[in-house]
Amino acid sequence: MKKLFALLLTVAMVFSLMAMSGSAFADDGNTLTVYAWDANFNIPALKAAEAAFQKVHPDFKLDIATQSGSSDVEQAMTLAGSSGDVSSLPDIVLFQDHFIQSYVADYPDCWQSLEGADINWDDFGAEKLSYSTIDGVHYGAPVDNGTAIFAYRTDVLEQAGYTIADMTGITWDRWLEIARDVKAKTGFALLSMDHSGDDLPYMMMQAEGLSQWKDGKPNFVGNEPFQRIIEVIVQGAKDGTILLANSWSEYCDQTIVGNQTAGVMNGNWIIPTIRQVADNSGKWAITTLPTLDGGKEGYAANGGSSLYITGNCKNVDLAKEFLAYTFGGGEGAMETYDNALRDGGVITCCISAGQSDVYKEGIEYFGGQAIYSDIVGMGAHVPVIEQNDYHYTARTYIGNAITNIINGADLTTELQSAQDQVEFEMG
Amino acid sequence: MEKKTNRWGWAFLIVASAMIMIFSFYPMFSALIMSFKTGSSANMKWATPWYNNYLRMFKDKTFIMALKNTFLYLIIQVPVMLVLAILLAQLLNNPNLKCRGLFRTCIFLPCAISLVSYSLIFRTLFYDTGMINTILMKLGIIHENIKWLGQTGTARAVIITALIWRWTGYNMVFYLAGLQNLDYQVYEAAQIDGANGWKTFWHITVPQLRPVIIMTFIMSINGTLQLYDESVNLTNGGPAGTTMTMSHHIYNTAFQGKANFGYAAALSFVVFILVAILAAINLKVGDTRD
Repeated sequence: MKKLFALLLTVAMVFSLMAMSGSAFADDGNTLTVYAWDANFNIPALKAAEAAFQKVHPDFKLDIATQSGSSDVEQAMTLAGSSGDVSSLPDIVLFQDHFIQSYVADYPDCWQSLEGADINWDDFGAEKLSYSTIDGVHYGAPVDNGTAIFAYRTDVLEQAGYTIADMTGITWDRWLEIARDVKAKTGFALLSMDHSGDDLPYMMMQAEGLSQWKDGKPNFVGNEPFQRIIEVIVQGAKDGTILLANSWSEYCDQTIVGNQTAGVMNGNWIIPTIRQVADNSGKWAITTLPTLDGGKEGYAANGGSSLYITGNCKNVDLAKEFLAYTFGGGEGAMETYDNALRDGGVITCCISAGQSDVYKEGIEYFGGQAIYSDIVGMGAHVPVIEQNDYHYTARTYIGNAITNIINGADLTTELQSAQDQVEFEMG
Repeated sequence: MEKKTNRWGWAFLIVASAMIMIFSFYPMFSALIMSFKTGSSANMKWATPWYNNYLRMFKDKTFIMALKNTFLYLIIQVPVMLVLAILLAQLLNNPNLKCRGLFRTCIFLPCAISLVSYSLIFRTLFYDTGMINTILMKLGIIHENIKWLGQTGTARAVIITALIWRWTGYNMVFYLAGLQNLDYQVYEAAQIDGANGWKTFWHITVPQLRPVIIMTFIMSINGTLQLYDESVNLTNGGPAGTTMTMSHHIYNTAFQGKANFGYAAALSFVVFILVAILAAINLKVGDTRD
């Protein structure tokens, strides 16, 4: 009996070892595997692309492995890159724009460029492409559009005596004034942000056409517009007109869905969160960002991702053809992006695909405003600014500095300390 | 016969030892080597000087903050938790207490909850407009929402409270087990000699529980130095990094943004050395054998 048991155990072990050593993905020449992470956002977009491509390639199959978050994909790349064994990777990955430059530099074997793919690159916003272009070589097929919007509750503004037009093209000082007025009259704050990953300084700088970086170094100290921006945020936080939440869920669930704020400024992927409150239908409208000196509208982008072919893809031609035909502005682009928008709220940064009727439809939730074509239009204006692999490191330390300044610390000292720490992590 | 048994014994031992070597000691050794290296993980080079990662720590303000935070948690949370645990154990060990099983289960129950879940629940409770603030407002104790997680002091207090809630029952179980091994006659003798409850507790219970107390101390110190889930999920290190723990910083260094495995490995070894030192002190202090 014991022997039988031992034998069974051994057999089980051998089988499980064999199962582990097998390749994770089937390869039949018509299937591409892809990693993506958001079942409500980018996965419907991929499904739309699959359906579009099947019209010309009936046997084509896209095998989507849903990850729990973007960091899973980053860690899969780190693992493959560090071990020098790319065989664990799928054919295509969706990857965050802010990280791609450093990952291509650190793990060159993990990636294959899109050179030779039939994509008209002029059909995309230059800012979006600036992330996925490395040394002049295109690596990524853009999926979503991170263009920042400033959404306001028009009913709350009206109650305080303002319209959406009063909020467009204004200075931040004027914005602070209006915000105090709105707060006094209605009790609503006019902006909120997840302060544990505070994107406000970055977006506000980009709206000025400026960067927190200069020649690959952090440029916080002595950067006058940057200091003014920090002062705006600190002032708003002190007035109670800018709510700085301590976590992402508090930002979404309490400040936005919990009806504490009458204004939301973020990448347009925040729209589904705004729309979670059915009662507010028809009460929102979107516009551009304020700027420091006014006289112009501010355009920025925040977040977003693109599709990349990995070093493990054996069928590169098929992958390129698929990406070019769908997300790359080919014949299937209109269908892909229309369905991606319908099913996932993914907004294209492909200018020609943004001309479709689906994009021109007025959205009832936003009072009939054709927000999607507005956003595609805004996306074309987003200025290209200096980026850095340490984007998120800078975000952390600037966020810390803001917290400390609000609690009474000196602005110059705090910015110096943030700059020192970012330089330390880079060095 | 004996020879044959020995041979089999060695055979089994070799398999187990080989596995420990391959899956435990070899990675530890590799990590040590890695802690002297720098650069992206695909292309690591020796640091110059080779101990540079260890020097780097002294200039790393985030690490120093994390070190301070971790020790603050350690100094406050571990004694409070263990004293509470031993008192609860003493109470629940009373054979005359009704519904002992129910109370024991209730106090142990938090340990059945995953670290991530309970951290998230605590975070929700302490939102600016969360349940705690709502209750305090309704009771008229406060008139303006307290920013529990937005201020250093309160955020640390929330983490410590959460830790005590989560781990007291766990330690209590060890004390209960220890108490049940004590001979009841000793207590009867003490009673006859006129010792009151407090004296009995300090002079009979505590000395006899010493091995268990030392064990829980070492486990708690070890656990606190490796504190991670609460820092990540409850406060995300905030506000301004003042609640971040060492393990959280190590994770951020290794896996967030640009990976720096060499430095992260060096940081891990510092935690390892700290645990070893504290455990050694603990054993030395607790050892009464001459």
